[in-house]
Amino acid sequence: MKNFFTAWNIARHSLVENYKNRFFALFVIFAGVLIYASLLAGVMAMDEEARVITDLGLALMELTALAYALLAAASTITREIETKTIYLIFSRPVPRPAYLAGKAAGLYASLALMLGVMALIQLSLISFRGFALPPFYLKAVFFIWCKLLIIISAVLFISLFSTSTVSTITISGILWTLGHFTSEAKFLINKSSGSASLLLKACAYFIPNFQLFNARDLGASGPAPAGPGFLAAYLLLWVSAPYLFSLVLFRKKEF
Amino acid sequence: MKNYSDSNSRANRRFAVFLIYLALPVLAAAALAFTGPWIFLTSIPAFPPPDNIREVRYSAVEDALALSLGMRRLAADVWFIRLMQYYGSPDIDERENLYAEMPDAGHGQPGHHCAGAHFGEGQYPDFLPLASHILALDPYFTNAGLYTAGSLAFNLHRPEEAVGFLNGALVYHPKEWKYATLLAAIGYSKSKDPAKVARIITPLIMEPDCPVMLRQLAAFLNKKAGNYSAAYSIYKTILETTKDRFYIDNSRKEIAELEGMGLAAPPGAASPRGAASLRFGGHRP
Repeated sequence: MKNFFTAWNIARHSLVENYKNRFFALFVIFAGVLIYASLLAGVMAMDEEARVITDLGLALMELTALAYALLAAASTITREIETKTIYLIFSRPVPRPAYLAGKAAGLYASLALMLGVMALIQLSLISFRGFALPPFYLKAVFFIWCKLLIIISAVLFISLFSTSTVSTITISGILWTLGHFTSEAKFLINKSSGSASLLLKACAYFIPNFQLFNARDLGASGPAPAGPGFLAAYLLLWVSAPYLFSLVLFRKKEF
Repeated sequence: MKNYSDSNSRANRRFAVFLIYLALPVLAAAALAFTGPWIFLTSIPAFPPPDNIREVRYSAVEDALALSLGMRRLAADVWFIRLMQYYGSPDIDERENLYAEMPDAGHGQPGHHCAGAHFGEGQYPDFLPLASHILALDPYFTNAGLYTAGSLAFNLHRPEEAVGFLNGALVYHPKEWKYATLLAAIGYSKSKDPAKVARIITPLIMEPDCPVMLRQLAAFLNKKAGNYSAAYSIYKTILETTKDRFYIDNSRKEIAELEGMGLAAPPGAASPRGAASLRFGGHRP
């Protein structure tokens, strides 16, 4: 219980820190402007304006939140190591699992806040244009957050063995891309043979399948890729596994 | 007693370390090793394989970006805008010259003054490849499918291509009744019975998000079949639901013509965004 409160305090501090970060505000403003620009693009779509505004807005929200998540998660622990703030933290009775959990939870909450603000901006614009709330909208925003939970966990893990923030962001970007490419990878595996096929299989099996959470792309009429129970278990696994691996790496670090 | 308590707490701590730093990570790795291949092998892709996407207008880089970022839907939207821009621009069509030389064949026939009936006619050679590209990216974009098939069958007079296109669309969206309805309408259009085609597509135009092109077609067919009040209602709905300048101007013209024939608006004929309020006297299936 004590460890839980320690993690809670670190998460709260991390959320406040992210909120006060000027990059956070910049990203939200940037997304707001882009979402507004989607209104202009929507006009070109004539009778499909509602669809274009929704799709463009959701895509921009995801990319903006992803950019912030990668930057923040890649630097949150390394910055504390570089600035030696971490020594202050560990000079107190703070267990390492609680510290890592708190840092991750703070980032999850920051991203939820960011997505919430952007969704509100977009929904206001959609309603200002006189359109109804798209039926899959809330699900799409929630699933964007789920994808971000996975990538944040993975980035925190990668940042512990990566040599620089840039390389962490690069590796994570590749992971994000490959995770969306799984159904196409299946096709490529069927077409390839020998070592190429094995390599592709290894890549495809051990990267998170972001397409499972891509409700934004399936819209209202696309089939659900898996049941909610499976998706919840998959999400839990992909959030907790990198955290546990991070703990193993973090234990060996000397502060 | 104290020694016993100390050794107990040490054992507990050792167990916690074993659990957190060894047992749980190994379990997590095993779970990932199991679920990764399992979900990969058992999941049925929601989208067509990438070899269904044919390159149009140097789209390869754009398509690869859309696929790798999971943005098929947005890419389909962009291509639909391009399709409408393409179809909205004049096509060099030799048939236009041919029509000019043809004798007046009567209402609704090529060459006659009722211009709305011939909207969208032409060759438009990129129309089908562009539309197929959209559905290869997002097979659930029903309105794009209806718009394309309707234009192909009724405006561009290429019903065989429209049928092929709709059959392709039904592969990934087999439960889409709108495609099946349009297929039936295309089938009946060959029998040169406009009233029957109009009746078949009525459920489609009752949908609030029905493509305006189909509403225009329904109105035209009803007018041609002598169902003037139904045509009038549909033109009114077009006026209230579309932003497309051509359809608005054409509807105004048609409404004026129908009112000139002594037809008054039936009460509650149309409501804002209210295709559902359309009424077709005696022709609703």
